[in-house]
Amino acid sequence: MSLLQSIKNGVRKRSIHVCYVNTGSCNGCDIEILACLSPRYDIEQYGIYVHNNPREADVILVTGGMSPQWIDKLPDLFDRVPEPKAVVTIGNCPISGCVFNRPGCVIDPPVSKYIPVTAAVPGCPPRPTEIINAILSAADELFKNHEEKKEAKK
Amino acid sequence: MKKVVDVSLPVGPVHPCFKEPLRIKCETAGERVLRTEVELGYVKKGIEKIMVGRPWQETMFLAERVCGICSVVHNTAIVGALEEISGIEVPRRAQLLRIILNELDRMQSHLLANYSYCYTIEHETLAMYLLNLRETAMDAIEKMTGTRIMSAYVVPGGVREDVSDAVLSDIISAMDKIERELNRYVKMFETGRLIALRSKGIGILSVEDAKASGVVGPTARASGMECDARANDPLYVELGWHMITRTEGDNFARIMLRFDELYQSASLVRNAVAKLEAGPIRLGGKVTAGHVKHTIEAPRGDLTYDIAVDENGEVISVAIQTPSVMNVETAAHVMMKDLASAADVTSVFISADPCIACAER
Amino acid sequence: MSVLSYLKEFLRPSWLKSFFFAKTAPLENPPYFRDFPQITGNECTNCLSCKMICPCQGAIDVIQENGKWMPYITYGHCVRCGYCVEACPEEVLTSGDILDKKRLEGLEFIHEYKVIVDEEACMGCGNCSTACPANREIDPHIGAGGTAMSDDVLMRVERGKNRVLHNDLCKGCKVCMDTCPNKSIHVVRTVQAVQEAYK
Repeated sequence: MSLLQSIKNGVRKRSIHVCYVNTGSCNGCDIEILACLSPRYDIEQYGIYVHNNPREADVILVTGGMSPQWIDKLPDLFDRVPEPKAVVTIGNCPISGCVFNRPGCVIDPPVSKYIPVTAAVPGCPPRPTEIINAILSAADELFKNHEEKKEAKK
Repeated sequence: MKKVVDVSLPVGPVHPCFKEPLRIKCETAGERVLRTEVELGYVKKGIEKIMVGRPWQETMFLAERVCGICSVVHNTAIVGALEEISGIEVPRRAQLLRIILNELDRMQSHLLANYSYCYTIEHETLAMYLLNLRETAMDAIEKMTGTRIMSAYVVPGGVREDVSDAVLSDIISAMDKIERELNRYVKMFETGRLIALRSKGIGILSVEDAKASGVVGPTARASGMECDARANDPLYVELGWHMITRTEGDNFARIMLRFDELYQSASLVRNAVAKLEAGPIRLGGKVTAGHVKHTIEAPRGDLTYDIAVDENGEVISVAIQTPSVMNVETAAHVMMKDLASAADVTSVFISADPCIACAER
Repeated sequence: MSVLSYLKEFLRPSWLKSFFFAKTAPLENPPYFRDFPQITGNECTNCLSCKMICPCQGAIDVIQENGKWMPYITYGHCVRCGYCVEACPEEVLTSGDILDKKRLEGLEFIHEYKVIVDEEACMGCGNCSTACPANREIDPHIGAGGTAMSDDVLMRVERGKNRVLHNDLCKGCKVCMDTCPNKSIHVVRTVQAVQEAYK
């Protein structure tokens, strides 16, 4: 591993810009992400910044179980995120549709059908501590050796 | 004079100020915003359709997940409707515990609304103070029910579990803390000059417009319109509830009204805790056939469940009327008219405390 | 003026103290938090009370492992409501402080399952009687047409219609509803939340 690569790894681990996308959730997970911002949990001390702008994000947090309006818009939004990028889903809805996935519903889970998902946090809704723990444990591996992996893929 | 539209400016669906996806189309002439239009439909899940043919132990969870911010009030509303149909008696201790939880939920919802407003007008210090204060209310809820949101606490015939005296004294000390901190924050909000520039006289909703457009909840009460479903509840009146209104009808009045209601909720919780007596908390009771329209006061206004149940206790049809439907449309068509700048669009919209998940279900 | 007010705000002793010595809370869940249900080690009797009260699809399953029945929670489906903990009569599951409160306050769910057959729509194919797990336990030799020799079965086909004989045997699994070709059978799950002392 070159020196440049190890510097990049270190920097990317400590500076993650997050954008959250609500694809038909009930707000429960969204306000738990908001609660992570509060001084009680203080997500910014770990170098995670919530900008809510896909064009400057590294990680997209997806909540909700794909309502029909989002089926064409979410892959579009995913394309606008600059490389390297990752998707973390928050809550039960993106995994299974939670209690809404019943005959007669309009949502279409899981989210991984539409965009590649790196990590998922179960819970309805997950506690802020669980969200932060999940993002922190994934942060080391998310963007590690991104350039080398890209080369290997080609 | 003929108004000419320069640019049609879209705001959303993913926007830094909004917690939820929706699109506001603004018609602008220069910096002025002439008209706005709201485009909904991003979080439609079809909950009312899924509820059909299910007994209470499943509809209760679906109703809770209509909205994550005011989940307790949806739970209370659907269970209250089923109890009204079946004539189930609720013990007094359970009624008081429901009121305590509902008021705690209202406090965290109002604090979140005021946080969003302060964040939108770029006063991040006050926003973070309020968000941290909200954690105190959330801790009280968690100690009482076991979870922060989606507590599943209200069941037909009472509540899930009892609350010990230690937790009750914790709740009272949380109320003390909230009132003490709020005194400071309200003073900051009232005297801040930058806040006044962004809030006073912006997004005015007159009392005539409020009555004509059917707006409910704190948004209506800030315009001087008296509407609150808690007035019909004898237990709330016994606990010392009274109507709070303001007359200005601008952004400032809406936020200050929520601060005033926070003080009132804290005193209601205190009075309810003082009146608690030992006794049963749940007595059961079968859900029978019937049809009812049940209205209670959610943090954002009147919430109505129009529900029909068959003799097996399974839902035949249900219609939920949430306060955000009226508030969002009023905000779009009445409040956000002829605004001085495009930045006011988000601040006026957030001051009406919209909940898109409620509005679309 | 506003600058002064901000200076005054940031020079308060409590603000300064919290600014220099603030520590965020450790990332732990409190003990009273209602987490995913855990297994206590008591023996499961496969009564399916937990599965019947669960409000989500596919969140809990009771599976047999090395000859022992055990409930299995699927993460991503479970909403952590804690109903299974409250409903289990053998205290197999635990979550947060629900189990303690259940013992202390005598919390209980009363289940009642009722099988309703629509006499007009039923065509007597016997799919439901054949598929019913309670039927097969009592009479393993139940015929493909749903005819049983035993009188103890939950339901059987008599004179071209499906008749319910013993409603109290029903566990509420709704397998019959899934197999019925014209939706003429319906299982009602009635639940009441009560306290033992005030029944």
